[in-house]
Amino acid sequence: MAEPATNISGELTSVERLLKEELARGDRSLRGVAPVLAHMLETSGHSLLSDAIVARVRGMLEHLSRQLLAAERAEVLGSTAHGEGDPPEAVDTLADRLGSDHVVLGHAYVLAMESHLAERLERRASLDPVLSPLLQELIASDQPAIAELAMATLAAQSRFVQSQRRMDMPLAELPAELFLSVMACWESVARGRGRGAVPKGAVERLKRSYDEGASRVGLLSRLVSAMGNGALAALELEHAGLALFASALAAVSRQPRDNAVIACHESQAARLALAFRAAGLDAQAIERQFLLLEPGIRVPEVIGQLAPDRAQAILARSEARVVDLDR
Amino acid sequence: MIERGDTLLAARGLTDAQDRLVTADEPLAELQLACGGDLPGVLAVPELLVLVRQARSMDLRIAREFAAHDGDDRITGFARVHPRGGEDGEGCELLVENWQRQPNALAGASEFAEQLDAIDRASAEASGRLDAAQRVQLVSAAAPDARELEAAISREPGRTWTDYVTLQDVAHRQPLHWRLLDGSHCTLPGSQRHWRVRLLPLGSVSTAPAGFEWLLVPEEPLSGIHSTQDSEDDAAAGHSRLIGSALTPVLRQPIARIIANAETIRSRLAGPLREEYTEYAGTIAAAGQHLSGMLDDLADLEVVETPGFSTAREKVDLADAARRAAGILGVRAQARGITLDLPEEDEGCQARAEFRRVLQILLNLIGNAIAYSPDNSRVTVRTHESRNGRVAISVADEGPGISEEQAARIFDKFERLGRDNDGGSGLGLYISQRLARAMDGELTVTSRESVDDGCGALFRLDLPTFPAR
Repeated sequence: MAEPATNISGELTSVERLLKEELARGDRSLRGVAPVLAHMLETSGHSLLSDAIVARVRGMLEHLSRQLLAAERAEVLGSTAHGEGDPPEAVDTLADRLGSDHVVLGHAYVLAMESHLAERLERRASLDPVLSPLLQELIASDQPAIAELAMATLAAQSRFVQSQRRMDMPLAELPAELFLSVMACWESVARGRGRGAVPKGAVERLKRSYDEGASRVGLLSRLVSAMGNGALAALELEHAGLALFASALAAVSRQPRDNAVIACHESQAARLALAFRAAGLDAQAIERQFLLLEPGIRVPEVIGQLAPDRAQAILARSEARVVDLDR
Repeated sequence: MIERGDTLLAARGLTDAQDRLVTADEPLAELQLACGGDLPGVLAVPELLVLVRQARSMDLRIAREFAAHDGDDRITGFARVHPRGGEDGEGCELLVENWQRQPNALAGASEFAEQLDAIDRASAEASGRLDAAQRVQLVSAAAPDARELEAAISREPGRTWTDYVTLQDVAHRQPLHWRLLDGSHCTLPGSQRHWRVRLLPLGSVSTAPAGFEWLLVPEEPLSGIHSTQDSEDDAAAGHSRLIGSALTPVLRQPIARIIANAETIRSRLAGPLREEYTEYAGTIAAAGQHLSGMLDDLADLEVVETPGFSTAREKVDLADAARRAAGILGVRAQARGITLDLPEEDEGCQARAEFRRVLQILLNLIGNAIAYSPDNSRVTVRTHESRNGRVAISVADEGPGISEEQAARIFDKFERLGRDNDGGSGLGLYISQRLARAMDGELTVTSRESVDDGCGALFRLDLPTFPAR
């Protein structure tokens, strides 16, 4: 190709390149439309992606973004600035940036899925999304420490259900790695705005108030850990409720809790069966759990012959990237 | 359903900016020591170290489940790590909840056996095939000192494998059932090392196997390759455990038989006998017992002189160890009318040492005290509370005591202080001192001249104290 002869043609080629790139980007997003649309039309309600879930995820990302901007505002203007809204463009920019982080997006998705599944279980099997029989037993424990922990878990679970209805995602409820990812997104957006980094004091204050062990997921896993070998009892979905069940399943099958939640979706029956097997449940017990969760799915008898550590190895190899937390 | 009582918080510890565990409650301190760490020292529980590092680098309070292994059991719990910012030196506070100890879950017996077989296959340095009658079909040596075996087999092929090696502890002749030979020990021509034999049946095990996989697994690495770093003990580096692993097992049984038969004759169990003969039998029994004790001492000597000899670090209640030693030696003391004056039940003096080694030292000290004390005297054992992180236990008798000049060489090897017919090997105190030093302790004697009341020997064992909570 010949060298551009003049300055004008130089500008022309750069415009050309710009337009080409833009067109390619347009192509890519158009290519995405059909499969996503097809997926959503195909099986509404039972799909891994429904518009309800998309809406919820969007709401959560926005809520995260608002919390961060509020913290920044409070730091810059002092506490008087509460109640004043942030410009919608700022909220959207930050929410978009958060949504482009696959780990953050994945976690938001899993939470939306968890509350979606919990609602479905409530409808189908009258399973209380907040207070399950097992949690009730734990609250009535004769050991004050456990009763207290169970009480705190109940409060956190009730807050979770409430915030899901409002499509909220409190910063303090994020796993530690995600909390840091969110902070990183925040910093990068702030730098992009050209207003310099986010105020150090705001980051510091958010970090100081964070305690993973006091978050809902933290409390749930502490409770499961406190049950010791009794945690197997939490593998009865009807008895434990989805939240405690997912934490227990994650603990005994040694996979991230997010994966355990996703395993409860009907399209992930193999994941769930493997997790149960990794936890050491036999074929009948697995069948019983499936009856409650996905009555339409038959569990093959032979699952009982798969060695638990084998099941775990297979699970560990699965590439659940969207929900993969490095833990 | 819930297995732990009282409070959920089981242990609290503090780490510093270099992830050293500075202070820790007892369960955590014990786990740290069991994992080979020190207190204070770098956090030695890998699973917890990862969490502490993570919390420190994220500068966030995290809460995670963890599982560790203390050598015997699986420990599980829930760890909450809180970074301490600022002037505290950037360390972390470590809170462990739900401390639980489960016996190490063993896989099924057959799976476990398979794993052992796999380990042996991987570590065998000579291997081959045997036919159904255990005749060698082929062999290949991976270690230089197994080449001679390979050569011997190629010179005279087709014989049973037991013809080429020297079996230990197996007096029987072939043909033997393979299960009896699987796992037996042998030596190879041209090899200084001890080898373990594995016979893994090929084909169906329930009926007669069609042949065997033949594995020879060395019990120690080829010397000269690994021990160059122990320059201070170079002379001992080529140390092969001749007495402990070769001589003792072979000699113990015949000596035991000599003693048992001599005792039978002495007590005339087999019928009436003239007086002189029972006296001879008594002498034979005593000499046999001396030989037997000597053999134990020599085996011990060899162990403590092995380069890299180390002892376990566990919590040892010195008073308890003294009482156990006294229990073992009680009959001997009673026979001479000697009173053993022991520390009180509640005199809790905790040392960080290996229990059986402390017991061995105390048996030696108290045994000596009984042997060299006059009849109807008193042997006094006392524990001493820690000062500057040490605890001690002392053994005093009312015997003739030890002179300054004797004290200077009493801990020497084969030193018997001029006694030559009391049945000692001259190794007991030497071994005891080596053991004490291996546990970071010291064994000392106070000479007659420096004891106020001027009589009796006073031995004192100093040990590091067990870190308290």
